Amino acid sequence: MTVTHDPASTQVDPITTEIIRNAFLSAAEEMNATLIRSAYNAIIYEAKDCSVALLDENKRALGQSAGLPIFLGNLEICIQLTEDAFGAEVWAPGDVWIMNDSYMTGTHLGDVTIFAPIYYGEELVGFSASRAHWLDIGAKDLPAPTDSTEIYQEGIRLGPTKVMEGWKLRDDIVDILQRNSRFPYTLVGDLHAQIAVARTGERRLSAIIDRYGLETMRQARDEIFAQSEALDRAAVAAIADGVYEAEGSLDNDGVTDDEFWVRMKITVDGDRMLVDLSESSGPARGAINCGEAQAISACRVAFKRLVNPDRPVTGGTFVPLDVKVRKGSLLAAEEPAACQWYFSPLGLLIDLFAKALAPVMPEVVAAAHHGDSMVNYITGLRDRNGNLFVNVDCLVGGWGGWQGSDGESCLINNVNGSINDFPIEIVESRYPLRVREYAVRTDSAGAGKWRGGCGTIREFEIESEDVWISLWYERSKTPAWGLFGGESGKPPVVEINPGSADVRQMLKVNRLPLKSGDIVRCQSGGGGGYGDARERDHDLVALDIEEGFITLDQARASYGYEPS
Amino acid sequence: MGHLRVAMDIGGTFTDLVAFDERDGSYVTRKVSTTPADLTEGVLEGLDQLLDSADDISFIVHGTTQGLNAFLQRRGERVLLLATRGARDVYHIARGARHELYDLHYRKPQPLVRRRDTIAITGRLDYRGEEVEPLSEAELRAAAGQARDEGIKAFAVAFLFSYLNPVHELEAERIILEEFPEASVSLSHRAAREWREYERTSSTVLNAYIAPVVERYLDRLQRSMTERGLTVPLHVMQSSGGILTAQTAREQPIQTLLSGPAGGAMGGAAVAEILSRPNLLCVDMGGTSFDMSLIVDGQPDTVQETELEGLPLLMPIVKIHTIGAGGGSLAYLEAGGLRVGPESAGAQPGPACYRRGGTQPTVTDANLVLGRIDPAFFLGGAMQLDVEAAHAAVASLAAKLGMEPLELAEGILDVVNAKMAQAIRTITVEQGIAPADFAIVAFGGAGAMHAAFLAEELEIPEVIVPVFPGSFSAWGMLRTKLRHDFTTPYYKAATEADRAEMKRLLDELADEGRRALRSEGVAEDKVEVTSLVDMRYVAQEFSLPVPLDSSELDDPNFAAIVAERFHQAYDARYGHANPSAPVEFVSVRATTYGDLGRAEAKRLNGAQPDSHDASSRKVIFARAEHEAAVAVRDSLAPGASLAGPAIVEEPTATTVVPPGWVATVDEHGFLVLRNQKDRR
Repeated sequence: MTVTHDPASTQVDPITTEIIRNAFLSAAEEMNATLIRSAYNAIIYEAKDCSVALLDENKRALGQSAGLPIFLGNLEICIQLTEDAFGAEVWAPGDVWIMNDSYMTGTHLGDVTIFAPIYYGEELVGFSASRAHWLDIGAKDLPAPTDSTEIYQEGIRLGPTKVMEGWKLRDDIVDILQRNSRFPYTLVGDLHAQIAVARTGERRLSAIIDRYGLETMRQARDEIFAQSEALDRAAVAAIADGVYEAEGSLDNDGVTDDEFWVRMKITVDGDRMLVDLSESSGPARGAINCGEAQAISACRVAFKRLVNPDRPVTGGTFVPLDVKVRKGSLLAAEEPAACQWYFSPLGLLIDLFAKALAPVMPEVVAAAHHGDSMVNYITGLRDRNGNLFVNVDCLVGGWGGWQGSDGESCLINNVNGSINDFPIEIVESRYPLRVREYAVRTDSAGAGKWRGGCGTIREFEIESEDVWISLWYERSKTPAWGLFGGESGKPPVVEINPGSADVRQMLKVNRLPLKSGDIVRCQSGGGGGYGDARERDHDLVALDIEEGFITLDQARASYGYEPS
Repeated sequence: MGHLRVAMDIGGTFTDLVAFDERDGSYVTRKVSTTPADLTEGVLEGLDQLLDSADDISFIVHGTTQGLNAFLQRRGERVLLLATRGARDVYHIARGARHELYDLHYRKPQPLVRRRDTIAITGRLDYRGEEVEPLSEAELRAAAGQARDEGIKAFAVAFLFSYLNPVHELEAERIILEEFPEASVSLSHRAAREWREYERTSSTVLNAYIAPVVERYLDRLQRSMTERGLTVPLHVMQSSGGILTAQTAREQPIQTLLSGPAGGAMGGAAVAEILSRPNLLCVDMGGTSFDMSLIVDGQPDTVQETELEGLPLLMPIVKIHTIGAGGGSLAYLEAGGLRVGPESAGAQPGPACYRRGGTQPTVTDANLVLGRIDPAFFLGGAMQLDVEAAHAAVASLAAKLGMEPLELAEGILDVVNAKMAQAIRTITVEQGIAPADFAIVAFGGAGAMHAAFLAEELEIPEVIVPVFPGSFSAWGMLRTKLRHDFTTPYYKAATEADRAEMKRLLDELADEGRRALRSEGVAEDKVEVTSLVDMRYVAQEFSLPVPLDSSELDDPNFAAIVAERFHQAYDARYGHANPSAPVEFVSVRATTYGDLGRAEAKRLNGAQPDSHDASSRKVIFARAEHEAAVAVRDSLAPGASLAGPAIVEEPTATTVVPPGWVATVDEHGFLVLRNQKDRR
């Protein structure tokens, strides 16, 4: 396929354009390196719960770098909303803004967005922006509640606020932030790291303008956007026109037993795509509500996974994509909806997008993965050194199969990006926990011609009193589904004291007290299968039995297998 | 009595040999084709060209890709992995990380052991290294028996907390060897005595996977060399930048994995020492990749952990950053825009000018079209390049872009140079280093062709092209010492550290290193020991190595002294520090070096400026045709000076001196390029 567009409008030569294109990407990488290098808390520098973007004066991305997939293209909106609130005259050199309001930024309050206008001489030429997850902004429970019902329980809430004026820190604002955090020292460190990102972006964009001139930079930018847009349009045009639908429900919202539905209708019309989410459920009492900005971001991620996934994001990317949400619904939350777990419907949405388009993109899509967040928060009064501790552990699970390959086993979920599991030797050295088992969950993968990946088992024993556990597991009602006749993966299971008389099963809980000797057994789900299991190669089934991914019983039941 | 110090670097395509004659300080080099089926053939062929008899050799070292090739081609030994019951799947779970955010089809790195070859063994230590469940001898005997029956000879044993207490692993080794005396056993506490079970297991498996291959290769090479009269021990380059005797390398084959690139970094360190330039940025550009390493304060930038194709490896290793830009990088159209790389034409079909079927223009084609490469002198004339084919490829793309071919050719280079410079800038920012404080050392076939342009992008005023830039790794190996690294965990809050205990641990590690050096024939007065303690802020996962002098352990203020040093190192690396936060020790490390004497070239004299053989040809710079002086490197005596535009040619490399730059030959024979343009 040859993609092209009319370059007649540009006067910049292709070499300069390409060098400037790389310079924008490199500027974003340097902003990201600055953030990772100078952040104080490990959620940023290890878990990469952050993103950065260099934007032009129209808030379109020149370059961006996301640590979490769902942070794709979600910074522009913060600047636009600030301008909507205060007018286009609000910008001034040396001002740095902070905000975290869930209904504006789209995410939970722990994600703090910081941005600054960039001036070249007197002229506003762009913005640098970053978002990063701070350790604590004063939520009712550490590290985060699983049972909040109003945003006011989730931490301090900031609309667009100037944290610097004329490159001078506003001590009154910093004081408010510090008074509302259990970790004020770390908070200031992370604030400074994000300010450093703003300055890096400013420096790099100014250097590009110094070298090539503002006019050339802008012409190159227009050309770069046009190239990205042409690539995305061509890819969308290649998808058959039509209306494609998919829906799925979350288990509940953590405080009621109600189901919440994500319903998606995708209309492909020529080189444009409309994603309509307006039939999704209304607001939840629990904390699964999501700001509109993040619902849009999630659609962009879902789009990106199928359309030019290896091409960098610019202001021309996503132009063919429109998203429609219903104000006040689950996916366009309004006050006072709780938003701590805003990403659970988004993880589902991203999988549903592939399901909806499967009939027309069978060679690209994959079956569903095990979902999110599969997280255990274990807090206690005494770690191995006798100090208060918080252990956050995210259980990895199975991903969906696709045409030509099985899904991967024991892999971190989509919304958690590239985070690593916690080594047993570190967990046991720090916390009063013994990991009794960490294993591939046999027979958990959805059967198929290409099967899903396996889930994971992690079982640990509590070795101290005064310990509490919070859980957030999903997708027991909508386990990872198969495609084209493939079967669903097994859903997650969490048991306290399995095999004993007082065994208890639960998937979501807030601060359940545990005692020394208690055993917690967590099993994450498998991925969905792709294609009819009866068509699976006999040798591959035999290999799965030999490797212990499935038992002979399951091979017989799902694959009609008989040993030869 | 031998008088030649010989280094051999076995690369993917060529085997480089460099010999230093101790009698007159002269060097001889040879380049022969690498023989992948049996690497010893190429090595022996090169040696036969280089010398009359192996007993002329007084010292010999080589860097080998044998282990790396076995790994990359997945042709290592089948391994049986024994793991702690309950943690059997740690190796296959691989920490569950996903490194491509938008890849719906992501797969983890291919493991080297099948899951069915992973056996759970009962027996458990706790986080203090104390036994909570005894080791099952019966299960071990069964596993060894199973391996013998299935013909599996290589064992990797990786038990939880073995870095604190190796008792179960040692017991396992004893039992396996009783049942199966021919087995090759790798224990995790020997392969990598550090916490984090997945990374330690991965290192152990890799060691087990390549051990028999490397052992057979070293045996074969040693035998052939001895037959040819070699009387001195054979040495092997380590990934850390030090060297080992072949005997020791057999026991720790993973240490040899990345020995070639380490030679380049050690060459960089040698240049730093010779020129008293402590900070260097070493760039090596080949056909498909651009490799960069840093010399900081005279030392190669070394890390304690790396990854090979996504599989982690805990061991000291010279840090090499690889960027997908090389002579074979393709220029092409995407959505009407120009792109250069990272897609590469590789060696097959290769650049259009190779006439092996490539029709898309590459970086090499652009250099050729611009006159910067002599088509008749590529690889010393071993390969004739087709200028017409290069021109046609560039012209065809230029027509689509509405450009002149020469304009595009230079543009291709501008784009690739900008990309390399930007990548360097990002890497140095991550390390907290300003590139402008560094000089560039350029080597590899194409490094010196692009170095001055990179320097301009990075505002670096000086580029050094060492002697034998095409054999620089081998040259670097002649300047290294024997090296042994030992480490042991010491997990304690800094304020609670027991100085006597730390001193005892460090002494034990140093003694272990001294013993190893003694067995390799190093005299006590040629031994040097350095100590490090890995430190971090409490609750962090990753640590920084902090140097210490073991005499500092006598000082009651020891904890405060090293904490201060840690805060400074942390600030340099991350841009901030937290002096009021508690710090902890994680492990202590001792490195012992044995000095075997080194190749010291005598200083060159007889400077006769402008006595070189000079010709000239037309070369394009900044869209204009220049008559550039062309000199043969060998004819340039110390003191000779060439003003750009100029080209310096030698069989294995080409140096481009752009207009505004001046190249001077210094007293060591190095070509030093300086930017003479008006600078602020």
